Amino acid sequence: MAKKTETSKRLSRDELNDRDRRTLRHLLALADDVVKAAETGRDPAIDIPSRTLSNVRYNKSKRFIEMGAAKNRRQLFNLNQAKSYMQTILVASGAEKLISQGKTTSLRGMYYLLKHTIEGAREETFSDQEESDSVIEDLEVAIEVLREELHLYAKNAGAMVGQITLIDSGDTIDCTRMGSGGYSIPSIVEPEVVQFKKCDAEFVLHVEKDTVWRRFNEDKFWRKHNCILTHGGGQPPRGVRRLLYRLHNELKLPVYCLLDNDPWGYYIYSVIKQGSINLAYESKRMAIPDARYLGLRSKDFVECELSDSVKISLNDTDRKRARQIMEYPWFAHKKPWQKEIKQLLDNGFKLEVEALISKDISYVTEEYTPQRLREGDWLD
Amino acid sequence: MSKTTSPEPTGNHQTELTDGSGNGEALGRPRQRATAQSMAAKQRDISVSEFFAKNRHLLGFDNPRKALLTTVKEAVDNALDACEEAGILPELWIHIERLAPERFKVGVQDNGPGILKKTIPLIFGKLLYGSKFHRLRMSRGQQGIGISAAGMYGLLTTGKPVKIMSKTGRNKEAHYYEIQIDTKRNQPEILNGKGEGVEIPPGARGQEAIAKHGIEWHDVDHGTRVTIELEAKYQRGRGSVDEYLEQTVIANPHVTVHYRDPDNNDRDFVRVAEQLPPEPKEIRPHPYGVELGRLVTMLKETKAPTLAQFLTHSFSRVSSKVARRVCDAAKLSVRSRPSRIGRHEADGLFRAIQETKIPAPATDCVVPIGEELILKGLHQMVPGEFFAAATRPPAVYRGNPFVIEVGLAYGGGPSNHKVSRDALDELLDQTDVRTLRQFILTTFQGMSSESADKIIEAAQLKPRTSPKNLDREETTRFHEALQRINLDDGQSMNVLRYANRVPLQFQAGACAITQSVMQTNWRSYGLSQSRGSLPSGPATVMVHIASVWVPFTSESKEAVAAYPEIAKELRLALQAVGRKLGMYLRRRVRARHEGERRNLFLRYLGEVATAVSQMNQAPRDELYERLLRVAKRKTAEADVKLDDRGRTLRPDEDDEDFGEHVLIVPTANGDGRTAAAPTAKTP
Repeated sequence: MAKKTETSKRLSRDELNDRDRRTLRHLLALADDVVKAAETGRDPAIDIPSRTLSNVRYNKSKRFIEMGAAKNRRQLFNLNQAKSYMQTILVASGAEKLISQGKTTSLRGMYYLLKHTIEGAREETFSDQEESDSVIEDLEVAIEVLREELHLYAKNAGAMVGQITLIDSGDTIDCTRMGSGGYSIPSIVEPEVVQFKKCDAEFVLHVEKDTVWRRFNEDKFWRKHNCILTHGGGQPPRGVRRLLYRLHNELKLPVYCLLDNDPWGYYIYSVIKQGSINLAYESKRMAIPDARYLGLRSKDFVECELSDSVKISLNDTDRKRARQIMEYPWFAHKKPWQKEIKQLLDNGFKLEVEALISKDISYVTEEYTPQRLREGDWLD
Repeated sequence: MSKTTSPEPTGNHQTELTDGSGNGEALGRPRQRATAQSMAAKQRDISVSEFFAKNRHLLGFDNPRKALLTTVKEAVDNALDACEEAGILPELWIHIERLAPERFKVGVQDNGPGILKKTIPLIFGKLLYGSKFHRLRMSRGQQGIGISAAGMYGLLTTGKPVKIMSKTGRNKEAHYYEIQIDTKRNQPEILNGKGEGVEIPPGARGQEAIAKHGIEWHDVDHGTRVTIELEAKYQRGRGSVDEYLEQTVIANPHVTVHYRDPDNNDRDFVRVAEQLPPEPKEIRPHPYGVELGRLVTMLKETKAPTLAQFLTHSFSRVSSKVARRVCDAAKLSVRSRPSRIGRHEADGLFRAIQETKIPAPATDCVVPIGEELILKGLHQMVPGEFFAAATRPPAVYRGNPFVIEVGLAYGGGPSNHKVSRDALDELLDQTDVRTLRQFILTTFQGMSSESADKIIEAAQLKPRTSPKNLDREETTRFHEALQRINLDDGQSMNVLRYANRVPLQFQAGACAITQSVMQTNWRSYGLSQSRGSLPSGPATVMVHIASVWVPFTSESKEAVAAYPEIAKELRLALQAVGRKLGMYLRRRVRARHEGERRNLFLRYLGEVATAVSQMNQAPRDELYERLLRVAKRKTAEADVKLDDRGRTLRPDEDDEDFGEHVLIVPTANGDGRTAAAPTAKTP
């Protein structure tokens, strides 16, 4: 076991902000519970809300996925749970260390911070990062704090450009002057870190991936149409989703999504709109029930007169996935969506946004998107 | 047998050759090579003895090393059969004396009933003479070739006769004969006492006479001693006399053997069972097992006046009702005279027999060793921690009843761990194999080629080095490697095969037993096994087939033929012991896992204590001690399971039951049953 050296000083309680103090209180409660349990001869346990499909439900009035009340008890004196209990306490102690030293680290950093060989055994505390990532999520839901409140962040993913000026960690960032790369969206975009200074945009256009986003940026789509342009590198990470949420709710900007015409694209839209199963407890601060699906649509192959060569045939997984999505409660009662997905299955092929390039390099920015926006031709 | 000894095939072969040269002539070859007359002059009878003198490999005399083994084996088989038939607990004295580097004197004495004076020369000096061929009764020897063939081999290689001394009672005279076989006539020739043998009186006078003749004789009331001098080679390891005796003792726990090897080492195997196996009953053949040719001969030879009587008297399980049905099906009268039945009608009769429903033969004529004695025998000779045995109920192949038994031993170190430095020197010195790799494979039991390579590599030697060229230092390294290398994984299962209690040491690959062991899926019983090969692991399996007529693939009686019925019984028996082994191994793994898990659990407590104390500055060690105390109480509670009414259950009770015929030897390091006690209970 490598010796862990303590080089950083702990901050005094006065130097911490209110959120950190609250988080620390929760973490210490866990530790105190262990001590109390040991003194009274009880077995220490942590109740963790279960993050499974069976424990999420769709809240019709709020229009997003919520976590149910089911909890799993994680006990120390249970041979099957002892290891994950130990890992949970380790993560708690790691987070406590970060907060009291006023530092943040990545998920991977946390993994390395906690990973060591268990004394007297040949086993590692964590065998891979996936293990620690999942325990971190457990801790988040168990003590009802957010990942950023544990001073943890994920790697940056996603970018933004457009008619907005914001302040990130004290630096003013004018998103109209971001060059070709755009503003890289950090994983923590809470008001303490990111504040909106000035916004002239009228809406947000979220595209699936970097390549399409670059097309729009190069054509200065955001300037012509006075909007904000974001992408999430496929499935948008928490930072991107949280930023979209804040743009939508604080600046009242409508959000339009331009995604591939395949089950994966539908799913990304579903996550942005209703939240995901795994992060159901974050829905209330991430889901955008009013987000709109601009494209690509199953009808576009005919409507845009695309050539056969852009078709990608559906495989069995695609078909299975499409049928599952059709039955999501938030799609099940929407006729246009049923029609859309059914047509995808009937088509037997999927389309990427890039397929539009076969018409003309800037077809998507100059004709397709403006036309759809003008005509209000989207799915909701 | 009868086919190979008849002169006909030779004649046919010759005729074909003549035809061939006839064609050559038509192509314009001027000179005729042989005429029918000149050839007929050369064609004559071949005596059985002559045939085997030239084809000695058929009887197990292929090489000097095997000749020694076969000689001992035939003598021992005969001795044991004689003792058991007479109801005497067998005690044998075996002495192999080295006269010259490649010349040995083999003496085997038993405490059997002795042999009558007039039959001695026939038994030992005439091939195909015996009591066992003409009857269907479970016995070790079958054809009656063995011991006289050994005598003949001795005579061929050394010119010395077979010496027999036999005594039938305490106050009876002993007969002493020196016999050689006349290979041309297949007749014994008595050399001593002017062709009459020598009588040795009982008592002190006899002792003097024995001493005068230079015969080795352990004083018993009755018994027989055979001494054969032969050219041979003595070598330990696989296929050796020593191995044969060890294996014989496993399957015959009621036998005591005193063995003196050529280096004057004495080994005594003392019986662990005081009961003789029950006497096997003799039965008449079952109609389903008889072949057409044999049926024709039986019809000719029978004294029965009618066909119905012939059938009921010559065969087992044929009642007059069954006989009538057979005759009806063959469209023959029940009253027809057997000797008048022609070839064609015999054919019909043969088919009628196969088509008629006849009860299966009685199976009490087959005497298995029994599970208890298999366990005793294996435990005595094979080191191990787990033993299981299974005896199948009797079954029938081609009208012959048989029983399959399987014993299994698991655990215990491989044989290479036992060899001492001196013994290794000797082994290296004696071996005639050319490479070290070969040496390891042939000398030690249950050694796979991977293990051999592992050992050679560990000893920093080359696999192709000659074992004889090792210098002192290399031998030391080799010895150390043999002791040190753990071969549990690379070691392949050791298969001991027996037919009617006789170990089968050669032709393992051709034997139905080996094939069945390979085809059994041992992986589901917790051993590792690659497809179509023997499983690996420190396991020994013994398989015994007992039958009135064991179907061997050749005369040397070393491999059992794979009749479907036999293969099926083999499979079922192997699976029966396999399941028990699987249970044992699973339980052992479970106990070990449980222990490991509990151990690890205690480590987790340490981690938790450290992490908590870092957060809230609680004293770490105090917290750990407290957690440990709670843990001990909790696990103790969990171990005492309560039944519905709140009474405590013994933790072992819910385990699977091994059933009968299992022997578990707790091992010193607590790896056996004792490991079931979890380590967390007593940290």
